[in-house]
Amino acid sequence: MGNDDLRKQLAEQYRWGFVTDIEQDTAPLGLSEDIVRLISAKKGEPEFMLEWRLRAYRHWLTLKEPGWSTVRHAPIDYQGIHYYAAPRGSAGPKSLAEVDPQLLATYEKLGIPLAEREALAGVAVDAVFDSVSVATTFKDKLEKLGIVFCSFSEAVHKHPDLVRQYLGSVVPHTDNFFASLNSAVFSDGSFVYVPKGVRCPMELSTYFRINARNSGQFERTLIVADEGAYVSYLEGCTAPMRDENQLHAAVVELVALKDARIKYSTVQNWYPGDAEGRGGIYNFVTKRGECRGERAHISWTQVETGSAITWKYPSCVLTGDGSVGEFYSVALTNNRQQADTGTKMIHVGRDTRSTIVSKGISAGRGSNAYRGLVKVLKGADNARNHSQCDSLLMGPDCAAHTFPTIEVKNPSARVEHEASTSRIGEDQLFYLRSRGLSEEDAVGLIVNGFCKEVFNELPMEFAVEAQKLLAVSLEGAVG
Amino acid sequence: MLTIHDLHVSIQGRPILQGIDLAVKPGEVHAIMGPNGSGKSTLAQVLAGRSGYEVTRGEVTYLDHDLLALAPEERARAGLFLAFQYPLEIPGVANVQLLRTALNAVRRARGQEEMDAFDFLEYVKDKLALLEMDDALLYRAVNEGFSGGEKKRNEILQMAVLEPRLAILDETDSGLDIDALRVVAHGVNVLKGADQAIVLVTHYQRLLDHVVPDYVHVLSEGRIVCSGDRDLALELEEKGYAWLNDEAAHTEPHP
Amino acid sequence: MTTDTLYTEALARIASPGWLADGRRLALDRYLASGLPDTRDEDWRYTSLEQLERQALRIPDAGADTMLAIEDYPGALMAFADNRLIWQDTRLPTRMLGTLEDAEAPVRYGLGTLSEDSALAQLNLALWQEGVCLHAPAVYRPRLPVFLRFAAVQAEVMLHPRVLVVMEPHSDAILVEHYLADGDAPHWQNAVAEIFLKPGAHLTHIRLIEGGEGATHTHLVSVHQGRDSQYRGLTLSLGGRLVRQDIQVTLADEGAEARLDGLFVADGRRHVDHHLRIDHAASHTTSRTTWRGMASGRGRGIFDGRVLVRHGTLQADARQDSRNLLLSPHAEIDAKPQLEIYSDDVKCGHGATVGRLDEDALFYLASRGIDPATARDMLLLGFADQALGLADDAGLRDWLQPRLAAALPVLPKAANTREVRP
Repeated sequence: MGNDDLRKQLAEQYRWGFVTDIEQDTAPLGLSEDIVRLISAKKGEPEFMLEWRLRAYRHWLTLKEPGWSTVRHAPIDYQGIHYYAAPRGSAGPKSLAEVDPQLLATYEKLGIPLAEREALAGVAVDAVFDSVSVATTFKDKLEKLGIVFCSFSEAVHKHPDLVRQYLGSVVPHTDNFFASLNSAVFSDGSFVYVPKGVRCPMELSTYFRINARNSGQFERTLIVADEGAYVSYLEGCTAPMRDENQLHAAVVELVALKDARIKYSTVQNWYPGDAEGRGGIYNFVTKRGECRGERAHISWTQVETGSAITWKYPSCVLTGDGSVGEFYSVALTNNRQQADTGTKMIHVGRDTRSTIVSKGISAGRGSNAYRGLVKVLKGADNARNHSQCDSLLMGPDCAAHTFPTIEVKNPSARVEHEASTSRIGEDQLFYLRSRGLSEEDAVGLIVNGFCKEVFNELPMEFAVEAQKLLAVSLEGAVG
Repeated sequence: MLTIHDLHVSIQGRPILQGIDLAVKPGEVHAIMGPNGSGKSTLAQVLAGRSGYEVTRGEVTYLDHDLLALAPEERARAGLFLAFQYPLEIPGVANVQLLRTALNAVRRARGQEEMDAFDFLEYVKDKLALLEMDDALLYRAVNEGFSGGEKKRNEILQMAVLEPRLAILDETDSGLDIDALRVVAHGVNVLKGADQAIVLVTHYQRLLDHVVPDYVHVLSEGRIVCSGDRDLALELEEKGYAWLNDEAAHTEPHP
Repeated sequence: MTTDTLYTEALARIASPGWLADGRRLALDRYLASGLPDTRDEDWRYTSLEQLERQALRIPDAGADTMLAIEDYPGALMAFADNRLIWQDTRLPTRMLGTLEDAEAPVRYGLGTLSEDSALAQLNLALWQEGVCLHAPAVYRPRLPVFLRFAAVQAEVMLHPRVLVVMEPHSDAILVEHYLADGDAPHWQNAVAEIFLKPGAHLTHIRLIEGGEGATHTHLVSVHQGRDSQYRGLTLSLGGRLVRQDIQVTLADEGAEARLDGLFVADGRRHVDHHLRIDHAASHTTSRTTWRGMASGRGRGIFDGRVLVRHGTLQADARQDSRNLLLSPHAEIDAKPQLEIYSDDVKCGHGATVGRLDEDALFYLASRGIDPATARDMLLLGFADQALGLADDAGLRDWLQPRLAAALPVLPKAANTREVRP
């Protein structure tokens, strides 16, 4: 693969880009206290939610957009965004039959036939079209086990005590610029509560989809696993092609109590912009979990191939003694995509363990940064961390950065970090091609091998999808 | 010299040794054999004082000391030596430095004068010759970059330098070619005397061709299931360890 | 009195030839425009210089006649007590090794050009009084190592030692800088070394930082490497209350190689911060960084190393390692090894570890009869000793090792070991 060949970068059309035309119930442009009140009122929220939103909004006004990452983008006009949009009849359909057929067709195009998928894979899907949940399945089965799996709005009404207890307890409304913004205006999202000792029998899954023009997307997800509970949650998303940049500032909070385990998997494939970097989603996400009890376990797995800009650091606060945090990540950037992603592992309790495996792939003019923090506090006796951050480079104009920070205040801790950077070499490709593989297959083979440790952590059907995504995202990146 | 009575040992709550009884007198050579996972290495490690093992029951007396109450270095100074199955690499610490520091620590404990650097070199050169080792190994970092055979020889070199009363050799023969085995065995035989005792922990009997044991004990599932003389080792070699389980079910161990 | 006023007054007291005076004034203006770095600057996040604001340090009085006894050095020595040159070896001609004032041509050629980005280096450029120029002619290989000794003698002074090294093509030299202080009174050494390596030149550069409880030591080393040149630097930060080392290497032409070794000991209440920047600005360049640190007591050690590989370069080869021992519950180690890569034809990696002494190694030594305190000392020395590879090559291990051994942290003794007789 010569440099000249590599420069012929892909003109791969965003395969899953299209716009669904559904009437919108949209708030006026811009953000003010009135808009925050409007959002809360539209959703019929109790007083405590409105107060919380207003506190977040007022705090947000004091903050500046962060400038420390390697990410570069045009200034965002926060007054040029609609902060609320809902499909017509926001009360929500009770069954699939009530769902707008056009919506179902959209999922069809995405290759996610909802009905089929439910039946085949046993996955309960809480599908988010824009900002309001429109279909939730398998609810009854879950309800019998005492598991709550619903839209955030529904949880606010049906389980206000749980929401009140846990909302903002991991990511406070003051956490950072984008988290504060989200706290003020979040539209909807998912809520999961798994009661004591219950093992959730199926993977819980939500497909996000940004659709309405300039609507922004401010998802809020809260997952609580009570003592001894287990849940695996899948988040996947695609988005239609657009010209203007769209802001996405989601917040995900996980709480794992004593002996609980939460596995959170993401495949992110929003519109990345065209080959020149026009359009594409700005994905500024705050994801954090707390292992709040002894031996709690939180595991983040992500495959990030979409968005023009990805800025997210799924983190674990290891408070409980013996708790475990994991982060497995594949981030791929092509064309002019930028990713600045990584994790924070904060070791608070004794005998806490964390593992970080990060694989960055840069092609075209893509830029990929791993940014991580491993912090061992004074009381975290026998804390252990192992981090492995590898970068794979394709083409002379891409960039890969590794910025780990290690802060250790306890002498019994052991922290190890290793990083490597390499490229897909001509000799490797030649070797595989001389064995009869096409160049793209050869690249796919190398890339999938490179990412294997992360794919192994994904639920099976997600792993297959992730491999396909990488292949599609890299089409044209070679020769 | 060494008396083990009803020794029970667990690792993280999992029982490994379940009632070991063993008596070793000066001048004796004992071989402890057994399949993988039978607890052989655990026994060796516990005798040397490795942390992480819980002694749940039983006692070990060594030369009138309550052995289990002593720190590892106190055991070494009292003349107990363990040749490690997997000798450690210690980068930056020269082999000669370890040997001299250790020897002088042991000599102080014996009430002897410390050896200065010149005397020590003379002393250690004889030992090197005994083990057919090159002088250059003295100045390299402890075991760093040593081959498997060199590491094992280095363990026996340490033993030869420290002149222990009781030497426990934990699978010292594994991974050795026949020449190295002969050299190592020679080193062990030179050490052997009326006042010294040797415990050989081994999976195979081939070392026993070179260092002839007075007693052979077979360890299985944390217990000594039978004891005998050298012939027992040969029998094991012939039949393997599988018959033990059947046998153990209806045979009382030899006294 | 603000430090700005202090520094401005200090400049007025420094007599200087006209050709230097203009540069000094310009440098002071640049410094005043930015002031001392503070912790809001990401590069200074872990290290605060605010004590310099309080201490109101001055430049040393002229004519004060105190000096430290000078020990033997195994090479050609230039020694300073505060800002006075008190010894100069005559075996090397002054045009090769002399004061900066004596070396007009190379000074004009490069002074200040490799340190423009640093406010502290600008302050040094304005206020330096003890300056040295080492100028190795083409193909010259002096047999003697060159030793520069900078001692702080008077209390409450600031010193700004400055070293300029110009290695002409294919020259080869060993340079050792030794920083030390008389006593524990507050003082500040703010040193700068600018080093030019022309094509094929080799330099082994060892810096030994010792200093008392009152010492603040800030130091910038900036190296510019030409084609096929080799820089081998060894930094030993063994003393001082607050030490901040900035090391910048630009691999400016093909075939340039840099090896950076370092060791720091942060014990007591010492704060030791190392920032390394390696710029692979040309194809076929190589860098190797191996840093070792230990923190005990209430000490804090920081390693921040950044490797930059520029767009359009081929075959950059970089490896960076940070190995740290954390030896007490009140000490802290922070490590930030960073790779910033804008080319795909690279081989880059880094590793960082923080841990305590290896328990298995301690047990192994104990099983050979060695008491825990001795075993720990052996392992600490073994750990530190591995940093002396470059000193071996330069024949200077015997000079350095005792200093290193003396600087190792004394760990709290374990309970007295009992006498056990066989």
